Amino acid sequence: MLALLPRLRRFAHALARDAADADDLCQSAIERALKSRAQWEPGTRLDSWMYRIMRNHWIDTARARTRHGETFVGAEAGEDVGDRGDAGIEAAVELGNVGRAMALLPPEQREAVALVLVEGFAYKEAAEILEIPMGTLTSRLVRGREALMARLGEAA
Amino acid sequence: MTPKNEITAETLMAYADGELDAVTAKRVEKAVAADPALAEQVEKHRLLRTRLRAHFDPVAAAPAPDRLAAMLRSSAKVVDLGAARAARQPKPPRPVFWRNAGAIAAALVLGVALGLTSRTGLGGGPSFGAQSGDLVAQGEMAKALDTQLASKDGLVRLSFRNAEGNYCRVFETAGRSGVACKGDGGWTIRNYRASGAAEKGEYRQAGSAAVMADAQEMMKGEALDAAGEKAAVAKGWRAGN
Repeated sequence: MLALLPRLRRFAHALARDAADADDLCQSAIERALKSRAQWEPGTRLDSWMYRIMRNHWIDTARARTRHGETFVGAEAGEDVGDRGDAGIEAAVELGNVGRAMALLPPEQREAVALVLVEGFAYKEAAEILEIPMGTLTSRLVRGREALMARLGEAA
Repeated sequence: MTPKNEITAETLMAYADGELDAVTAKRVEKAVAADPALAEQVEKHRLLRTRLRAHFDPVAAAPAPDRLAAMLRSSAKVVDLGAARAARQPKPPRPVFWRNAGAIAAALVLGVALGLTSRTGLGGGPSFGAQSGDLVAQGEMAKALDTQLASKDGLVRLSFRNAEGNYCRVFETAGRSGVACKGDGGWTIRNYRASGAAEKGEYRQAGSAAVMADAQEMMKGEALDAAGEKAAVAKGWRAGN
């Protein structure tokens, strides 16, 4: 599990609206996974199982937030993602844009984009993690990508 | 995209991601070669992937906050083959101490360690014997390897095929773990380690993690899932498809 942590954090950052939320999400997902580790079946992929736990937790949190009247995506969404200190200002602005554009996607598109484009899962694997049919995955993925392309413009 | 062609946005995206079957990919490839607008769209898809990776990969490269790593370190109980593989350093092959003459002596020791223990639930005579210089599973131990499906707390933990195509199974019993591979002469024990004293949780885990790492080294392809194990049980764990 420890070896998976960097990837899980990356996934959390792709899902969550900012860096602080991402690490909270990561912590909650790890807690959940440790608690329910007996449910992991040896011989199956540990990474897919962990991703599913994190994703489900993220959805739950997002729903709770919506119920409490907060907007799912805050105006500041994504602004501090990618603020990693060393990067030049130019790069930081560009990276901020990517984070903001991701945060503006509807959750079902964001998770599809995060699994396939950021985490590099095959469509089939991503569909299994999300527990949706392949066709649903590809249609969410294509819509999410088109929205990102439109927001990020050309090679910018 | 030009309206006249029949390639959907999904298909084009799947092409850019290398997700299409060979026939469809060929069809899309031709269309893309003939249509600069399609080619541009494919390029955009790939560029987007690159940009997202460039944005999020630094997160994976950066050290994780201590609180997260500490949570996992303090309870590293899920044996993660991927982690074992990643953490493993290249090392010379371990001497196999029970080969040849050693096998008989080892069998005697293990017979005591395993055959007489009740914790394994394996009664009925010694669990191991020597055969042509190899240590092989006998009696209830052999039966368990033949019939039990792998489970996290069971005697058999994991099944896989090695480079020769033989079935192998990771087992743990009475504070010892090892890998048994099925050949013509039955289940030959390939790696056998003390998992450490059972009362010392950490050491015990370290020992079985080491055997899991051994297994990872021997493994060709993925570990068997439950269906794969059932199929293997049905054919008596014989190599070949």
